[in-house]
Amino acid sequence: MDNEKVKELELTLSMERFIQAELLLLLKQKPSHGYELIQRLDDSEFKSAEVDAATVYRNLRRMDKEGMIKSQWEVGESGPGRRLYKLTTQGEEYLIVWTQYIVRQKIKLENFLEAYLRFNQ
Amino acid sequence: MVQKTLKIIHAGALQIVMEKCQEHFLPNYPDLQIELTGVGSREGAKRLLTGEKYDIIALADQALFAELLVPNLVNNYFIFASDQIVLGSHEESKGNKEITSENWTEVLLKPQVSFARSDHRLDPCGYRTLMVWQLAERFYDRPGLYSTLEAACIPYSIYPKSIDLSQALLNGQVDYAFLYSSEVRHLGLPFIPLAPKINLSNPAYAKFYDQASVSLESKIPGTNIIIHGSPIEFAIGIAKDSFQSDIAQSFVDFLTGEEGAAILEECGLTPC
Repeated sequence: MDNEKVKELELTLSMERFIQAELLLLLKQKPSHGYELIQRLDDSEFKSAEVDAATVYRNLRRMDKEGMIKSQWEVGESGPGRRLYKLTTQGEEYLIVWTQYIVRQKIKLENFLEAYLRFNQ
Repeated sequence: MVQKTLKIIHAGALQIVMEKCQEHFLPNYPDLQIELTGVGSREGAKRLLTGEKYDIIALADQALFAELLVPNLVNNYFIFASDQIVLGSHEESKGNKEITSENWTEVLLKPQVSFARSDHRLDPCGYRTLMVWQLAERFYDRPGLYSTLEAACIPYSIYPKSIDLSQALLNGQVDYAFLYSSEVRHLGLPFIPLAPKINLSNPAYAKFYDQASVSLESKIPGTNIIIHGSPIEFAIGIAKDSFQSDIAQSFVDFLTGEEGAAILEECGLTPC
């Protein structure tokens, strides 16, 4: 991805939308349906808040519409059919941009802590 | 022109959803009419077992398909929405100035306050309410809370399904009612949200919900089955003997597609 595109994507990111990064990462690990993603996110070490089911489902639909993920109905062999989500190439690119954004946020937070500790010494 | 009829039996809680879907779906099928029958979902599934014929079955508890309908009457079913149990109230509800998500049990148990649930034998909202009470007993560490709430509640047989109860709440006949969030929102009534660990909304708490259970009559009359708590999920399926299976499939595709998701959201449900 060229730098211009990365910059453009970065403008759309904020920590309020961090759940999208979390879901993209889980879907990179393996395709899942919403119910399973909620459970996997809750079990993960990187969840940013208590997992709210409605928020997860809403973000999955939004990312599906925006082309970051794609979904199809998966017929259950013995259980119910559910919408199965997979990461798209665009989603992979978004995840890379998210990772770069998180690295920069991490540096900023570390700088903040360092300045705070220096001031308090 | 020969009129075709698509017969849909659905959870009472899906009444508005089904009416809106009908409104959007019919213009594409000029020779079609849709017949909607709203029931308590458990009752609905049992109606199919007794031989009543429908093309589409949309229920408030996806587990009813596996328990009662698959594989004899339905091949596949799809989960399309989720919801949560809330405590609905109205402007005149006694104690409504003080009630919160933390103290609702104390307020409900005051002698002058009335509250109700739907019939657990017919309606998932009824047995889910019993599960909410059992989970509240564990969550708040209040031994005996479940039995106390059950004894203080208005007799469940008065309100066969949650939509009957929501009308009673709207008319001010009860102070509080345990209902789906979507039903209360649709009526524009105030409500007290319950903690996610007890409101049956979140798959993250599926193991905790599983600790609650209710005994109900199984498909073999005279014998019972134990139903365990689980996240609320609505599901839809097509009857194996549907004469309109192509149109039924189109309707299911509509409900589970983008337009259906918009209608579900508008009606306060969470498409999934």
